[in-house]
Amino acid sequence: MIAAAALALSGCSIKIQSKQDPSIPADTMLLAADKGTPMMERNFNPYLVNKRAASSYIYEPLVVINVLDGTGTPWLASKVSQPDARTIDYTIRDGVKWSDGKPFTVDDVVFTLNLIKKFPTLDLKGAWQHIASLETKGDHLVIHLKEDDAPAQDIISQTLIVPEHIWKDQKSPDTWRDPNPVGTGPYTLASFTSQQYTMDKFEDYWQADKVQVKHLVLPAATNELDIATKGFDWAYAFMSDVQGTWVEANPNNKYWFPPGGIIGLMPNFTVAPFNDINVRRGIALALDRDKIADSATEGYMKPAGQTGLILPNQEKELDPSIPDGGLITQDTAGALAAFAAAGYTQQGGKLVGPDGKQFSFSITTANGYTDWLRAVQEVRKELTALGIDVQIKQPQPPGYQQAIQNGDFQVAMGGMGAGVVFQAFNATLSSEFATPIGKATASNFGRYTNPEADKLLAEYKTTVDPAKRLELSHQLQRIVYDDLPVISMYYGGLWGLYNDAKFTGWPDADDPYAPPQTYDQTPLLVFTHLKLRKDGE
Amino acid sequence: MKYALRKLGLFVLTLWAAITLNFLLPRLMPGSPTDAAIAKLSQNGPVTQATRDAIEAQLGVPGGNLWDQYVSYLHQVVTFDFGVSYTFYPQSVGELIGQAFPYTIMLVGIVTIVAFVLGTLTGVLAAWRRNTWLDSLPTLTGTFASTFPYFWTALLLLFFLGYVLHWFPTSGAYGPTASPMFSWDFIVDAAYHAVLPAVTILITSVGGWILGMRNAMINTLGDDYVTFAQANGLKGRTVAMKYAARNAILPNLTGFGLALGGVVGGSILVEQVFGYPGIGFLLFNAVIGQDYPLMQALFLLITVSVLVANFLVDILYGVLDPRTRR
Amino acid sequence: MTTTQSFKSISTEEVARPPHRLAFIGRAFATLWANWKSRLGLIILGLFVLVAIFAPWLAPYGATQDGFPRNADASWAHWFGTTAAGEDVLSQLIYGTRISVTVGFIAGALSTLVAVLIGLSWGYIRGFGAEVVNFIVNLFLVIPGLPLMIVIAAYLQNGGLAMIIAVIVITGWAWGARVLRSQTQSLRSRDFVTAARFSGDSSFRVVFHEILPNMTSLIAGSFFGAATAAILAEAGLEFLGLGDSSIVSWGTILYWAQNSNALLTGQWILLFAPGLCIALLAMSLTLINFGVDAISNPRLREGSAKAPRTAPSARTEEGSER
Repeated sequence: MIAAAALALSGCSIKIQSKQDPSIPADTMLLAADKGTPMMERNFNPYLVNKRAASSYIYEPLVVINVLDGTGTPWLASKVSQPDARTIDYTIRDGVKWSDGKPFTVDDVVFTLNLIKKFPTLDLKGAWQHIASLETKGDHLVIHLKEDDAPAQDIISQTLIVPEHIWKDQKSPDTWRDPNPVGTGPYTLASFTSQQYTMDKFEDYWQADKVQVKHLVLPAATNELDIATKGFDWAYAFMSDVQGTWVEANPNNKYWFPPGGIIGLMPNFTVAPFNDINVRRGIALALDRDKIADSATEGYMKPAGQTGLILPNQEKELDPSIPDGGLITQDTAGALAAFAAAGYTQQGGKLVGPDGKQFSFSITTANGYTDWLRAVQEVRKELTALGIDVQIKQPQPPGYQQAIQNGDFQVAMGGMGAGVVFQAFNATLSSEFATPIGKATASNFGRYTNPEADKLLAEYKTTVDPAKRLELSHQLQRIVYDDLPVISMYYGGLWGLYNDAKFTGWPDADDPYAPPQTYDQTPLLVFTHLKLRKDGE
Repeated sequence: MKYALRKLGLFVLTLWAAITLNFLLPRLMPGSPTDAAIAKLSQNGPVTQATRDAIEAQLGVPGGNLWDQYVSYLHQVVTFDFGVSYTFYPQSVGELIGQAFPYTIMLVGIVTIVAFVLGTLTGVLAAWRRNTWLDSLPTLTGTFASTFPYFWTALLLLFFLGYVLHWFPTSGAYGPTASPMFSWDFIVDAAYHAVLPAVTILITSVGGWILGMRNAMINTLGDDYVTFAQANGLKGRTVAMKYAARNAILPNLTGFGLALGGVVGGSILVEQVFGYPGIGFLLFNAVIGQDYPLMQALFLLITVSVLVANFLVDILYGVLDPRTRR
Repeated sequence: MTTTQSFKSISTEEVARPPHRLAFIGRAFATLWANWKSRLGLIILGLFVLVAIFAPWLAPYGATQDGFPRNADASWAHWFGTTAAGEDVLSQLIYGTRISVTVGFIAGALSTLVAVLIGLSWGYIRGFGAEVVNFIVNLFLVIPGLPLMIVIAAYLQNGGLAMIIAVIVITGWAWGARVLRSQTQSLRSRDFVTAARFSGDSSFRVVFHEILPNMTSLIAGSFFGAATAAILAEAGLEFLGLGDSSIVSWGTILYWAQNSNALLTGQWILLFAPGLCIALLAMSLTLINFGVDAISNPRLREGSAKAPRTAPSARTEEGSER
């Protein structure tokens, strides 16, 4: 009887339809890029943490970096060259105008760099940790670095340039909300209320001919229900059952979930026995990565290889001598052998160490990160099958941050990998981050140290030769593969949702010219790529 | 007089203790405001040391030892200057609370009053017509409705009446293109947006008032003076309203006072689900974001409201019921 | 008071023997059963307790057994469909009963215990001590409950169920303490208490052996109220994600449903069913409380156990008035 009632009730499962708002014209995009809390404050200062998302469509960097594979597209700098590892030479593009009509020059770039030097709270990327001095030669900006530091170019190039003629009068640019932003970007602020703002195309934009979307509408109400029901053209959100919800809501809804990072287990190298390679290998071999990926990301993402690279985006970097892209398949026999080499044997269904006690440890994850939680639960299942006792600690996100920064954990969930290859390896392997337990650090939370890796990283900084860089990258991958500083599990995804009824030219698996994210600088690549759909197409 | 003075003294003492507790509570939570900000950012990609330093400098790590912070906090309380919020940097705490306060007061205040009046009248009716359907129906449905978890009622109402039937808006206190102002259009718009959250709170809270009043009335109806009044030939309704109800309402009044005070803090879940920009939503963001200045100010606001409401009700009770002035 | 009673002849021994302590429970149960509201409550509560006990036999699958198709609609294999992780919803609901019932009762009992200890002592003592306790209780009452819970939950960093119970008890004892205190105060001035004190009983004995037995129904009422509040609080904490998200309780089903947008996938049943269960369980306790109210206040009694129209004279067993 309960069954019948339940069937009757569930049978009326209600499917949501999504219709595009007919009052929105064909050249206007409804964009779920911003979120209210629940209202939006008129804050467009590109250096503040709480800025509106669309501030990234107003201010532009020198180079736009594609986070999928680290390739840079020269932007406000028309050319970037590095004559040696200590110098960067930017050719500042001419013909660029600010949205109030004034011309953009190299002085604006110099002013911006000096501004973030004067107010270090604005130096979000840490450019001045690498810059020694600036020099202008005509329309060239030459930056002298403190030491051989070739990869610093990727960091400095991401600085967002602000207009000198407006910002020089600001007494406290670190708290100024910049309510009427003037930038070089493709869009300007049109109207603003606390629940929705709109943007118009900047007609004198230096790539105006490439920008076909004339207006943007960004509402504040952008939770998943809103995204699926209000006819958005572009959104960034994880959708459970994307096929059944987003795709079925509208015939033109599509999605693309490329990998954006690697999620893995970070062992704490200052805590025994995780400094023992055999223990790490045992854990690595015990994991069923297919199941973990499936469970954590509902089947959207694949298991990750153990090279520190994000595949298939960074395929070209891959060391061919590493089999199978670094993928480690589950091998319980091998796991037990590795544990045995470390002194752990199975006794009565438990994995017992040299001290006679069961191998027991905790995995720290952040409360509320549901995909991480599902992954950890799956990991716990696989390790329990071998006789290991695993506990899960789930502090709130700030508590989790504090724990990993201070090294207050045994094994923690975390990630590695980044679009720019050097950043990825530096953050994971460099011992400059290996501060003692109790002292906060920003990366390499497991405090991994390896003089070999440090040597390779130092060498990488001194070279600008792509072939040499590739070779060093291979060696660094080898270290990640053999030494397991972070045990990789699955790829973290970038959740791009879009509708191509009005606009075509979206990035997807066939044409990954940009990631599908609506934040940071890469939307600039998308806006200069999208075309209006012509009737009959 | 002595009664009032004693109550006042107690009020001040409790206020001080509440203020101190409000200072200590946020600092109990592990992780600093910087950690909270980084937790948010790290979802978009790895956060570098430089970014971390920049954010820490932006937000300003609380300086000085605990005692220094406490003294400056007390100073803030007295001058009503609570500084700048961490999660909504660089907006000031005063600005944020000023924006959110009217909506909560309007929504929850009105609903509480409506629920109280509705519930009390129904309770009187239920007690007077005891053991008939006029008693069982309101009491039972009211009680059942009061056991619904707030967020559950909210989600279901939001889904069915908002997303599926499109009868009511799905978030916000007013329409996306409107701006707050004292115009008739705006007030109508705001009222329209407040209907679903109001109905949620009403459904869940009215049962308590009905039951409380009913039980109090039943007690009073058994008293001798009521029987005496009835024996004297007074009409049923007169007896109920003029004699019994006035005495029965006293315990409920205490509850009402507490509820009014609790108005300010009691709406977290509802505001969260409906995206309603009131104090509750602000508090939730503050707690999740380890926003010390905002949390302190909001906790303070709530405890002061409850204390003041309690104090006023105590005085009022003393006025209404001479027996308590012993 | 002219009632006629027929006297049955009884031997002296029978009169001299005091009624067995536990007979009171039997009589209480009879009163509860007589009242149709609390009868309904007892039945519903009984059903839930049975489901909790026999969960492994009733549930078609394990609670965390996944591998089923995700987000599936209702079918014969899965009466309520499946979650986004591929788990069977009905099994989760059944196993979740255990957590909700357990947490509700334990947290309610602990909360009431603290309230009894503090409330009764507080009502008995006079003077400065009473004012101090009054001050502390007021403090706990005044701090907003849900935010306090969130802060404590974050501080305790998920100790699982124990932490949830601790949080609920810390934030919930004050209300009961106040209610019990005011009743103790009014009982304190009664003759039998004065008699006990003059006969040299220690304060502890007076409070816990003389006063307490007269308040059993009020304490019981307090317990049911506390248990109801505990069940709702646990659901609220789990829903916000502050509890232990890896256990299976009704609150966590709601949490995962919300996180995987059950409304969006059309599975509103995932939100409806656990919430309904929470409401029903809480309702059953409240219904029983109706009956408990009636025990302590004869005027509220229904059915055959109704009180006579006139005010009853002082009775030593129960009959403490509000």
